[in-house]
Amino acid sequence: MPTMRGDAMRGLAVFISDIRNCKSREAELRRINKELTNIRQRFRADKTLDGYQKKKYVCKLLFIFLLGHDIDFGYMEAVNLLSSNKYTEKQIGYLFISVIMNSSTEMKQLIIQNIRNDLQSRNPIFINLALQCVANIGDREMAVAFTNDIPRLLISGDTLDAVKQSAALCLLRLHRTSPDSLQLNTEWTARIIHLLNDQHLGVATAAVSLIDALVKRSPDEYKGCINLAVSRLSRIVTSSYTDFQDYTYYFVPAPWLCVKLLRLLQNYPPPDDPSIRSRLNECLDTILNKAQEPLKSKKVQHSNARNAVLFEAINLIIHMDCESSLLVRACNQLGQFLQNRETNLRYLALESMCLLATSEFSHEAVKKHQETVINALKSERDVSVRQRAVDLLYAMCDRSNAQDIVQEMLTYLETADYTIREEMVLKIAILSEKYAVDYKWYLDIMLKLIRIAGDFVSEEVWYRVIQVVVNRNDVQSYAAKIAFEALQAPACHENMVKVAGYILGEYGNLIALDPRSTPLIQFDLLHSKYHLCSPTTRCLILSTYMKFVNLFPEIKHHIQDILRHDSNYRSSDVEIQQRATEYLKLSEVCSPTVLATVLEIMPPYPEKQSPLLVRLKQKKPLMESEGAVEPTSSATTTPVTVYIDDVPKLADTAQQNGLLVSLDTPESNGHYEDSTFSSMTKPATSTVQSNKKFLLKNSDIIFENELIQIGIKGETTKSSMEIELYYGNKSNFNMTNFSSNIICTGELESELRMNMEPTKATIDSRAQIKQSGTIDCLKDFRDLPKMSITFYYNNMPQKIDFSFPIYLNKYIEKATMDSNNFFLRWKNLEKSSQEFQKIFPANFPMIYDDCHQKLEGFGWSSLTGIDVNTENFCGAGIIHTTTQQIGCLYRLEPNKQAKMYRLTIRASRDGVAKRLVELLEDQF
Amino acid sequence: MIGGVFIYNHKGEVLISRVYRDDIGRNAVDAFRVNVIHARQQARFPVVNIARTSFFYTKRSNIWLCAVAKQNINAAMVFEFLNKMIDVMQSYFGKISEENVKNNFVLIYELLDEILDFGYPQNSDTGVLKTFITQQGVRPVTREEQTNVTSAVTGQIGWRREGIKYRRNELFLDVIESVNLLMSQQGQVLSTHVAGRVVMKSYLSGMPECKFGINDKITVENRTKTQLDSNNPNNNNTTNPSTTTKTAIAIDDCQFHQCVKLSKFESEHSISFIPPDGEFELMRYRTTKDISLPFRVIPLVREIGRTKMEVKIVVKSNFKPTLIGQKIEIRIPTPPNTCDVQLLCMKGKAKHKSSENAIVWKMKRMGGMKESQLSAEIELLPNDKKKWNRPPISMSFEVPFAPSGFKVRYLKVFEHKLNYSDSETIKWVRYIGKSGLYETRC
Repeated sequence: MPTMRGDAMRGLAVFISDIRNCKSREAELRRINKELTNIRQRFRADKTLDGYQKKKYVCKLLFIFLLGHDIDFGYMEAVNLLSSNKYTEKQIGYLFISVIMNSSTEMKQLIIQNIRNDLQSRNPIFINLALQCVANIGDREMAVAFTNDIPRLLISGDTLDAVKQSAALCLLRLHRTSPDSLQLNTEWTARIIHLLNDQHLGVATAAVSLIDALVKRSPDEYKGCINLAVSRLSRIVTSSYTDFQDYTYYFVPAPWLCVKLLRLLQNYPPPDDPSIRSRLNECLDTILNKAQEPLKSKKVQHSNARNAVLFEAINLIIHMDCESSLLVRACNQLGQFLQNRETNLRYLALESMCLLATSEFSHEAVKKHQETVINALKSERDVSVRQRAVDLLYAMCDRSNAQDIVQEMLTYLETADYTIREEMVLKIAILSEKYAVDYKWYLDIMLKLIRIAGDFVSEEVWYRVIQVVVNRNDVQSYAAKIAFEALQAPACHENMVKVAGYILGEYGNLIALDPRSTPLIQFDLLHSKYHLCSPTTRCLILSTYMKFVNLFPEIKHHIQDILRHDSNYRSSDVEIQQRATEYLKLSEVCSPTVLATVLEIMPPYPEKQSPLLVRLKQKKPLMESEGAVEPTSSATTTPVTVYIDDVPKLADTAQQNGLLVSLDTPESNGHYEDSTFSSMTKPATSTVQSNKKFLLKNSDIIFENELIQIGIKGETTKSSMEIELYYGNKSNFNMTNFSSNIICTGELESELRMNMEPTKATIDSRAQIKQSGTIDCLKDFRDLPKMSITFYYNNMPQKIDFSFPIYLNKYIEKATMDSNNFFLRWKNLEKSSQEFQKIFPANFPMIYDDCHQKLEGFGWSSLTGIDVNTENFCGAGIIHTTTQQIGCLYRLEPNKQAKMYRLTIRASRDGVAKRLVELLEDQF
Repeated sequence: MIGGVFIYNHKGEVLISRVYRDDIGRNAVDAFRVNVIHARQQARFPVVNIARTSFFYTKRSNIWLCAVAKQNINAAMVFEFLNKMIDVMQSYFGKISEENVKNNFVLIYELLDEILDFGYPQNSDTGVLKTFITQQGVRPVTREEQTNVTSAVTGQIGWRREGIKYRRNELFLDVIESVNLLMSQQGQVLSTHVAGRVVMKSYLSGMPECKFGINDKITVENRTKTQLDSNNPNNNNTTNPSTTTKTAIAIDDCQFHQCVKLSKFESEHSISFIPPDGEFELMRYRTTKDISLPFRVIPLVREIGRTKMEVKIVVKSNFKPTLIGQKIEIRIPTPPNTCDVQLLCMKGKAKHKSSENAIVWKMKRMGGMKESQLSAEIELLPNDKKKWNRPPISMSFEVPFAPSGFKVRYLKVFEHKLNYSDSETIKWVRYIGKSGLYETRC
């Protein structure tokens, strides 16, 4: 258009203003329809348009698309714009493509070709446009197509800095969207790492992000980056190097680059080389020093940037966890932040301190701030900060300050936010148990806990109290005493009633001599609460009464009266009714000696892991308990399941002190609350599923026992089968040192080629891992490979061996043909070695559709209209091996009267027919 | 009961808001705007329920009229009321537009106060309303007028005041029908019905009593029976049904203006009434049988390859050659990937309207028993994604007869007090057949 000047597209502006002026949706639709017809007229194949017009109409289409209407044409024109030489036209083309990229594959090839041309052009602006487009679309195909071009741009010497920057970011994006399809040549590793040293800070910043992502994928390959990262960091932080181009942000030199470098270093353990290490320490030291300097500006950006670098440095210090001086300094720095006016800063400081508290070097330093943290807990307005403070208190707690901290937490619990109460209750329970010196103190705390926050005391907490009492002889009488006292309060929480009921039932006799708590008084007190409780608690109390019958025969009549009472004996609750009836009978029929045996004191509980810790982990999957980096289970574990313990004494009890594990005594073996659980504690027996389902289906469970379940999924293309194996851990413990092997022995070695990727070494409790790989068929085969799996479960080595169900039919490809063709081929294969026939009785009902489905599932075709007898099945298939293809034909003739089948298979290779008959014979 | 009435402009700004009941909160106004007017998907239902409140709405030329109710009320009643309200407003200030509503908002509030009381619809007859809601501001009312108004509003015949005098006693009767049709490609009638209205304009003195006769099947049969009975009391078997079916029509259902005495209609099947002064709708009816379709459209669509389509449309008129149909418009939808259309027609004007994705063919008039043709070549842009499901061809027209066969047999006027006879009044009858949804699949 000669009359048009510049790139102001008047037509587009008019169109947009028309749309904006439309009064109603209908009017807008009319205008758009009109415009679409117009554009269609212009884009008709026989007309030629100049670049300007094309650009204008593509712009209009884009605008219409963005208004929410479907566009189904104009792609070709947009792609044509890509090859234009004008920047604006190219830009619009790329814009269109990255916004509406859903077209067919042929179009995609064209687009990729165009992008490639631009990537190879000399014009840096064009290259950048292309890179932007690739990053915006960022799908698998793009990653595959440009797996070479973009890295080349990145490392070549003559690309501009701006282009390098874009290339790095584009590569990062492709890596994020489809890491497996992007294959980076290992020769480039060194050159990519060297980008950290690039003159241009922008390139370095972009490269760090990329390298960080690559390091996460293959840490060893990129190990060289530590060196460069440290030196770069030290150049920025320590030296008086002033040429930061435009990368000084509010007086902080290159904060983003610093943060990214610090984060990159967190991927590796502390550097081994002492010189590098000292250099890094020097950097960190400087960063900490700088934090002490007065602010250079009042602007919030300045302090934000400075703190960002500082916190990342502290994170690195915590990660390295080896320089005690640095850790202490970091801790002191954080201590200052605790009193900062900024809420975010306080939050971050508490969070980082939580991590610091777990390090042995800084634990003491953290403890210095106990007062401040407790203050924060009391006076902080923000609930999330308070939560962090609780976490920190939990983390910094040890034997020396446990009493104080527990006391403080208890005080705070009364006013705490409802959302964190349950967690706090758990934490208090754990701390008081773990650091209990005196179990009387522990019991006091626990009963107080139940009194203060009864609603938030989960089952595990009071279970635990009872377990402790049952297992410690020395506190039982004290427990009975304070439980009795607690029960005397006019209003008591149901959980308190449960605990008191249980304890009095077991150890009520220990305080019965006291005139203030004679049997009758105990009983009356307990019974005064009875009617206020829920049915489950009533059941528990009924058991207590029964124990009373044994302990105090003198109040037997009272108890029998109550059991006989209609509200129990004829209760609408089945459990209460049953207990009342049975207990009544028991008390009437049995002699005191029998009763004494039946109602003996509960034996101590066996135990390994505190149910409380399990519960806490469930509640907060990210919570790091006691510094151990145990992966957490999301499955719902009931407290009873942890009683299961078939391997006592394996844990090294010596090293661990404190009550949590000291319960793990040998005497605990052999007692189980419920017989159903004892069945689960048998050593793992294997139950191989041999139903050959995988023969006819693409997926199956190939092995299952109480501990592990193994599933398979396979898909065959020609002679190669892609398989995925799923290993599911069904137990409550992690499996470690996990390894699986598929072994081909003898002839099989030359017949199958396995290529499995290694599995992870650990399967978390209730988790599943995946292993994928390929199995290629080199020749036809008969035997099954062996699969062997080994792992450590609960420190016990386990080994499972079974046959890996891969059958020859997996490599069959369907073949269809007509009747003449079929019988022609059938006649061609008439040598006796090529045919195999078998007559066998039917295992399943003889239903036509079922058979048809099974035959199709087997891999070959089931053709209709071949045989004269329509009842018969015929079909064909080709077995693909890497060396040859084996054609096979079959006929299956059912005889409904005799309930028999006759199966005839002919295959072009000797022996194959027999094998196939063997596989198939017991499937009908 | 109606809880409130809102009027919005096309942007969703509230022009009128009148709340009658406390259960409708202030946020109801916004709820409707957000959920219906500004909704992403165009609302397809005339009633929507938002937060347990029902919104009944219609749209008239970019103005939204919405009635809200918290209770479960008769939806048909609400829509009847909304339409009546539109009629009333139209008779007061003409076309309903944002401008007019804004200029007359005081009047509209006044009307809303009158025609709804605590959410219960009241007298909404324009004639009566105009006697006491005027646009002239307040003027002193004489005692006589006051009593007149009171008796008009409270009396037995609320729709007519006393003491009307005309020099010429005249009445006009319009039978207006709309024909709805859906026809298959092959010309098979899939569904058809006629919705008709009898509109009367009366300029009669005094309190005249009118009797109206139509060729309804039941009435005609009754009449012939009584005639035969009186003529031939001894022989009841000689009634001849064939003579009656020819002229009489079967009315499926009908409804009358409030002035019609329903008791008399029920017992004697005669329609007698004292008409309001001026224009009113005497009755509405619906028929589905023996409908004479005025036009027939014969489509012929051929797709030639992926880029071309040929359409040929023949229209035949199917009524007496002496009559003339008017305002004929045929709308032929085109595929969404149309780029160009070439048209050729023998009669009238045809045009491709790309904004509506349709070819519009207009003819001013067309005589009976004629036929006309249009052929079009449509060029397409190849598109394999979506298959075009051809929408039907629609048509609109006006013909000077009643397609249902409805006939006015008589309209008698009796005025006892003023003594003018039936023969002195001048009566005009006119039949208009219009198209409703008149569609042929192609």
